[in-house]
Amino acid sequence: MGTALIALVLLAVTGAALGVIIGLAGKFFAVKTDPRIEQVTEMLPGANCGGCGRAGCADFAKALCAGEAAPAACPASSPEAVEQIAAFLGISAGGGEKKVAVVLCGGDKTHAGQAAHYNGVSDCVSASLIGGGAKGCTFGCLGLASCVRACPFNAIELVNGLAIVHNEICTGCGNCVDKCPRKLIKLVPKTSEVHVYCSSPEKGPTKKKVCSAACIGCRKCAKNAEEGQVEMQGFLARVNYNNPPSAGLVEATGCPTGCLRTPEEHYRQETATQEVA
Amino acid sequence: MHDYLQVTVGAVLVYNFVLSRFLGICPFLGVSKRIDTALGMSGAVIFVMTLASMATAAVFHLVLSKPVEIAGLGTIKLEFLQILLFILIIAALVQLVEIMLQKFSPPLYNALGIYLPLITTNCAVLGVATINAQATYSVWLSTINGFFSGVGFAVALVLFASLRERLEMAKVPKPFEGMAIALITAGILAMAFMGFSGLC
Amino acid sequence: MEEVQKKKFTGGIHPKDNKELSSGSAIQNAPLFEKYHVILCQHIGAPPKLVVKTGDTVKKGQMIAEPGGFVSAPVHSPTSGTIGKIFDVPGPSGVNQEAVEIIADGQDEWGSGLDPIPDWQNTAPEVLKERIAKAGIVGMGGAAFPTHVKLSPPPAKKIDTLILNGAECEPYLTADHRLMLERPEAILEGASIMARVLGIKNVYIGIESNKPDAIAGLNAKSEPYKVNVVTLKVRYPQGGEKQLIYAVTGRKVPQGMLPMDAGCVVQNVGTAAAIYDAVTQGRPLVERVTTVTGEPVVNPGNWLVRIGTPIADVIRLAGGVSRTPGKVILGGPMMGFAQKSLEVPVMKNTSGILLLDQVDTVQFTSQPCIRCGKCIDNCPMDLLCGTISCFIENEKFDKAEELHVMDCLECGACAYDCPAHRPLVQHVRRAKAEIRARKAKQNPK
Repeated sequence: MGTALIALVLLAVTGAALGVIIGLAGKFFAVKTDPRIEQVTEMLPGANCGGCGRAGCADFAKALCAGEAAPAACPASSPEAVEQIAAFLGISAGGGEKKVAVVLCGGDKTHAGQAAHYNGVSDCVSASLIGGGAKGCTFGCLGLASCVRACPFNAIELVNGLAIVHNEICTGCGNCVDKCPRKLIKLVPKTSEVHVYCSSPEKGPTKKKVCSAACIGCRKCAKNAEEGQVEMQGFLARVNYNNPPSAGLVEATGCPTGCLRTPEEHYRQETATQEVA
Repeated sequence: MHDYLQVTVGAVLVYNFVLSRFLGICPFLGVSKRIDTALGMSGAVIFVMTLASMATAAVFHLVLSKPVEIAGLGTIKLEFLQILLFILIIAALVQLVEIMLQKFSPPLYNALGIYLPLITTNCAVLGVATINAQATYSVWLSTINGFFSGVGFAVALVLFASLRERLEMAKVPKPFEGMAIALITAGILAMAFMGFSGLC
Repeated sequence: MEEVQKKKFTGGIHPKDNKELSSGSAIQNAPLFEKYHVILCQHIGAPPKLVVKTGDTVKKGQMIAEPGGFVSAPVHSPTSGTIGKIFDVPGPSGVNQEAVEIIADGQDEWGSGLDPIPDWQNTAPEVLKERIAKAGIVGMGGAAFPTHVKLSPPPAKKIDTLILNGAECEPYLTADHRLMLERPEAILEGASIMARVLGIKNVYIGIESNKPDAIAGLNAKSEPYKVNVVTLKVRYPQGGEKQLIYAVTGRKVPQGMLPMDAGCVVQNVGTAAAIYDAVTQGRPLVERVTTVTGEPVVNPGNWLVRIGTPIADVIRLAGGVSRTPGKVILGGPMMGFAQKSLEVPVMKNTSGILLLDQVDTVQFTSQPCIRCGKCIDNCPMDLLCGTISCFIENEKFDKAEELHVMDCLECGACAYDCPAHRPLVQHVRRAKAEIRARKAKQNPK
């Protein structure tokens, strides 16, 4: 009984003494930090994708608390999360519409042939350095998944030798854009409903030789769309993403090669051709 | 002199904290993914182990090992309070150091970052204090043992981190990916350290 | 005067050179073809600007594209005739490039507008350098760097040595060998012209010892030109700029620097002969010696072909093929580029057209590195090739850069011996591209 008492007293005294010392030290050597930084960091997705242009989520949180950035600059957060952060910090969410990446090529293994046999490193940059890549079309997707590996959100899938972005997962961080040696990936507004899945500026017959899904420059879509919605860039139709056409254009046009598609249709078609192949 | 050599070699190699005593496994597996974080953690561990050894040894020699005469109860030794008291001291010490560092050396504070509070409750730190007490090392010898135990921890951690960085580049069969192959590697590394046993 | 090499570089390999296929056949003049496709950008640097249009008549040697900057070179018509369409043809890099079609009129009439300078010994170096630039001369060994730029070192760099590269260490190729045998005076005089432009006295010509006839021939003629012939050990890549400088002068080019930082300028022997033609004959660079070789070729040999000849025509000159080849390579087997089209025209730097048998082009699959270290033994730049390739495979380009991946000269000695069949050079090329892209992104100019 007495021993226990001594132990209790001793520990209580020591604990109290140490507590007082730490308490004093904490007060004496206090350093002012912004406690919000940590909380904001927790509200961010934590993928450290770099889409905001900062070194990572913690760095972005620091910038947010310092008022150097707007919450909407985070491409990976949902609009609700952005609102939540804005409300927490008492600042405006900042403008800007949501963007998604799109791979503007429809030349899968079924539609676009190979000009050579490639047996090298399985990476698009490597392949493009050797004879410009093995694909017959020198502008098409090489299908070696460099963008797939670059995506921090696993939003890109390789279907039948063609990279396809899943709109619902893509956050528009843009990590994949630079990875594509053929510059096929574009960031477009998430609201755009139609894309021309071809990026080859060559003449129709030349393209047709190497890919049966290429835009042959027939202008059908440009005629069917409203003024300025689809522009012709040489032999290639381009959707004007500042004034995007609606999904109805696909049916109205009846694109002869089917390269004018909605993203949903694009994915459905490619999965179907993969199963056939 | 002989004592010091024995303690040094023993702490770093023979009774390596991680690979022979199997203490401090948590940070050993947790922060060994990259060499630079491993180095940060090693620095923090060496720092805390040295300080903790010194403080606990002092308390042990001044308070705990002395018989206390209490009226009506006779003479008792307070050694049974060792663990409780040591935990208190170590935790307080680390807290104090952290506060001071944040104030006086922000770069070092940022470098050690999360590792300092992490090791407050680390078994390796308490372990070295207990071992010092059991072996009844003097305060000076305890400090040396603490420092070199930290060095031993650092050696194991950095070795393991280098191995894991290389492992990341190797093709590992699916079932062994991640922590599984890391644990196997740690086992083999521990076996290699068995070769030091009997050195002193 | 004959000398033996001073130093020998570490690493290197001894591949079977197979030069006997074509080394015995003298340079033959290719006949005039009907059409030529001259690619406009034949060099490293700014692309040239077209100065002719469809329907124009041109003379042989007439400029059809003017330089697009200082680091650029003009392009000249390989024969007289009319300009056909201006269109894209497959280039040797695999990417389509803009080219001019020239329809020959059969006269093959010269009209370069450049007068011969027979008395070049008493002509100002500036005039000679201008002539070299106007003749469109670029490095004919492979890099195709405009020669006049190499001959204009910044005044801060003290150049004291000119080295002619006659090593021809690539297996199969014999174009430089035949050139040294048949036109030694042209090479030596071209070297003297370059020495005058640079204002230096030390001129060396490095030749591998497997070409004793070329060494003897040049030696016999070298006395009046004060050129030293240096015999080099046979080892690939003896013809690499840095390896050659080390072998001939004993100097090491500092890491990440250019030959001029070691006081040297290195030129190919073919370039020297082209300079001789440009200065003393007034002929711009419109034709070059190319080796057509390989086991499937019926009559391997060396041809003086016009720039712009499609390689299909050149292969036909050599009698075509006796069996289906596995690969067609422009350049040598070590550093050359496999082609996917026979439409590719001969360029200023096409030192050879090599056809490999199917058995020699078996495709291997890359295996994990077994850390045998053969690549490191073979590397002439002392790089840790295997480790670097592992880093690159896992996209750790910063680590690869720490291991000096940018110093790799892509000679392929590492991949030649790799028992795991790893595509080491391809990994390195990727890393270089990625690192350059990242640097360009970090400091956009």
